[in-house]
Amino acid sequence: MTRLGGWLLALPALVFTALLLALPLGRTLLEGGVNFAVWRDPYFLGRLGWTVAQAAGTAGLALALGAPFAYLLSRHDFTGKGLLLRLLLLPFVTPTLVAVLGLSALLGPQGWLTRPLGLDLSETPALLILGNLFFNLPVMTRLAYGGFSRVSPGLIGAARTLGATPWRAALGVALPLALPGLAAGVILVFLYSALSFGLPLALGGERYATLEVEIYTLTALQLRFPEASALIVGQLALTLAATWAYTLLSRGGSGVPAAGLPRARGGALAALWGLGAVTVLICFAPLLAVVARGLLGSGGPTLAYWQGVLADEDTPLLLGNTLRFALAALLGATVLGGLYALGAWRARSRVLDVVSLLPLMVSPVSLAVGYLLAYPQLSATLPMLIAAYTLLALPLVVRSLLPALRALPPRLLEAARTLGATGGAAHRTVTLPLTLPALRGGAALALATVLGEFGATLVLTRPEWATLSVGLYERLGRPGERNLGEACALATVLLLLSALAFTVLDGGEGEVT
Amino acid sequence: MRKLLTVGAFLLGAAQAQTTLTVITHDSFDVDKKLVAGFEQANGVRVRFVKGGDAGEMLSRLILTRRAPIADVVYGLDNSMIARARQADLLTPYRSPNLAKVPAADRLDDNGLLNTVDTGIVALNYDRAYFQKAGLALPKTLDDLKLPQYAKLTVVASPATSSPGLAFLLATVNHYGEAGAWSWWREARANGLKLTRGWSDSYNKEFSRNGGKYPIVLSYASSPAAEVFYADGYDPAKLPAQAPTGNLFLPGSTYRQLEGVGILKGAKQAALARKFVDFMLSGPVQADFPTRMWVYPATSGVKLDPVFRFAQEPGVPAVKPEITANPQRLVDAWVTNVLRR
Repeated sequence: MTRLGGWLLALPALVFTALLLALPLGRTLLEGGVNFAVWRDPYFLGRLGWTVAQAAGTAGLALALGAPFAYLLSRHDFTGKGLLLRLLLLPFVTPTLVAVLGLSALLGPQGWLTRPLGLDLSETPALLILGNLFFNLPVMTRLAYGGFSRVSPGLIGAARTLGATPWRAALGVALPLALPGLAAGVILVFLYSALSFGLPLALGGERYATLEVEIYTLTALQLRFPEASALIVGQLALTLAATWAYTLLSRGGSGVPAAGLPRARGGALAALWGLGAVTVLICFAPLLAVVARGLLGSGGPTLAYWQGVLADEDTPLLLGNTLRFALAALLGATVLGGLYALGAWRARSRVLDVVSLLPLMVSPVSLAVGYLLAYPQLSATLPMLIAAYTLLALPLVVRSLLPALRALPPRLLEAARTLGATGGAAHRTVTLPLTLPALRGGAALALATVLGEFGATLVLTRPEWATLSVGLYERLGRPGERNLGEACALATVLLLLSALAFTVLDGGEGEVT
Repeated sequence: MRKLLTVGAFLLGAAQAQTTLTVITHDSFDVDKKLVAGFEQANGVRVRFVKGGDAGEMLSRLILTRRAPIADVVYGLDNSMIARARQADLLTPYRSPNLAKVPAADRLDDNGLLNTVDTGIVALNYDRAYFQKAGLALPKTLDDLKLPQYAKLTVVASPATSSPGLAFLLATVNHYGEAGAWSWWREARANGLKLTRGWSDSYNKEFSRNGGKYPIVLSYASSPAAEVFYADGYDPAKLPAQAPTGNLFLPGSTYRQLEGVGILKGAKQAALARKFVDFMLSGPVQADFPTRMWVYPATSGVKLDPVFRFAQEPGVPAVKPEITANPQRLVDAWVTNVLRR
């Protein structure tokens, strides 16, 4: 009965996913048939190879940097640790355009870091990989931190008492126990990097285009559907396999950060500082560069860009729309995602687990075309826009909530029921309070993601619905340094809003998956 | 589900009763809101603008939805796209009376499938400061770009993914002929001609003036004027002696883009759509958008903002009709003969 009940709870979100994802995607694939011969073309095989290589490279780098840092974080206490963990989510929700602006300002041919060092990264994939790391190192670090936090400090303490060096204890005891969490992180980073669209579009140029970029070119510009569909199917097979592996590995509950951890000393302290510095540099320097770029003109510091943005009669509209759409999508995603997570938890179904991740796994480019084909009359309407935003936010709510639900002590619920509480009352008094931090964390992530989403990627937009990211994009579409400066000022506003979302909504304990 | 969506729309304040005219445009479209409000008032209609992406994306979207048109009017299709639009049977003819003020050579279609609204000139721009500092003479022909002293100086948007890139490709094919163009592109690429996916990547990231390292960039003949207009501390009363960037009108590198407005087949508001076409070619609108979209008005006798003195209109040779007849074939040939070689 509970299993069936679980499926019923998940039903609204399933219907929503079917309408907003499966149907449009199917419609895209049907448009011109699927021409699998394209997979024999060495050019597209090369694109596949590069897509996998850059994603695997990013995942490897993220693991090498993130795992040791996360281990040290889980074993030691220091002032500001909670704040750091919370801030680490900021890059994850940074709009791609903002990240590209920041990375170019720092590492472009005349970048603030590259010029003094005489470095030239153009014509190399370095900027793309660094961009991938900017978005994904935080994900890896947070997931690995969760994994290591699940390892009881008592076990490591016992190993140390029995004479193991800190290295032995970490590698022999903590690592094997945290392995599923680490592997899940690696797969997730791989998936995010393999499927990202905006970053390779902007930083990869012609040479380092990924499959997703090729799908975009074939569908949106050349209308070559049979070829595009074959690429979509191939990409889907790759990501579904990875997603399945991910759900197998990420079934553990969320970690309980141990209290009363020692402060780091000696080698551990040095390693913590070193890895922390690298992480902070990769994850926050591009953001700071954007902020600085909005305050620096060719003639030195200036407030002109900010004044330009504030004086623009459209700015209140942009801000208002951004907040209105983000909140509407948040509401939708929280209700649908909340019910879904509850359902997936009760149904104990792996299928539901995988389906919840689908919105992150399906190429947004092919979805955009699917909306046009499946719902031409709705494609330029507000409900469609909000629904598309909701679809993007949905997985983040579900992925935050599920681990928290799974970590609930079953006996608590049983006790409540034994003491006479109805199912609903038990959930209200036991489940909700215990999972509230995770729900808040997921909501913060969802809100921040939607805040920065550039609506036109999925649906046709209308000028009266312009959001901050649309305003940013439009400025980047015009020549002149004022437009670039104002784009950076708008990007700063977006970052402040995201940071605010985390401060208000998230206690910092929510786990990101 | 649809009911739910409707309720959602209502809650968000999107409910509307008035007659609506839907106009789809490319992302760069921008016109004074007051002018649009005047049109709405005069015709008792609400104009709803929909942004259809970059011009090429917009055309694709219109082709995909031609059986259930998502708009009544389209603005922003240009002379490199009209052949595809014709082939897909997207448009219904209407000749605006205002077309009489458009020079015959600038008219897009004799039947009025598209009425020319403005012209833009795709051209190479250069960074003055860079060339001064390097003490390098400006190149004089496209072939110069294959010389060692101009190696790795030029960035252009890819013809396969951007409309200025496509325009530049058509100009080179027009100038060199097909075979000659492919060898020019291959040699220029071997000499470090950089390709980006779109205009803003070339201009905002790779152009030396904006933090890149390429002092020659494919943009528009009006971009130098826009550079002055959008400079820090711009004052129309005190215009500088020259723009920070200049036009580099190498023979065979410029292309005249004619952008037009047309009525989509199956338009629900055909009569209002015709009025809107006239509106786009009317004096006030023609005078409004040069400093918004950085293009030239199509009708004669419109006074341009003084900042346009930093833009020059080169004599652009007419492109042979067989070149604009099937640009997609040329793009495919370019991809095979240049990009993937």
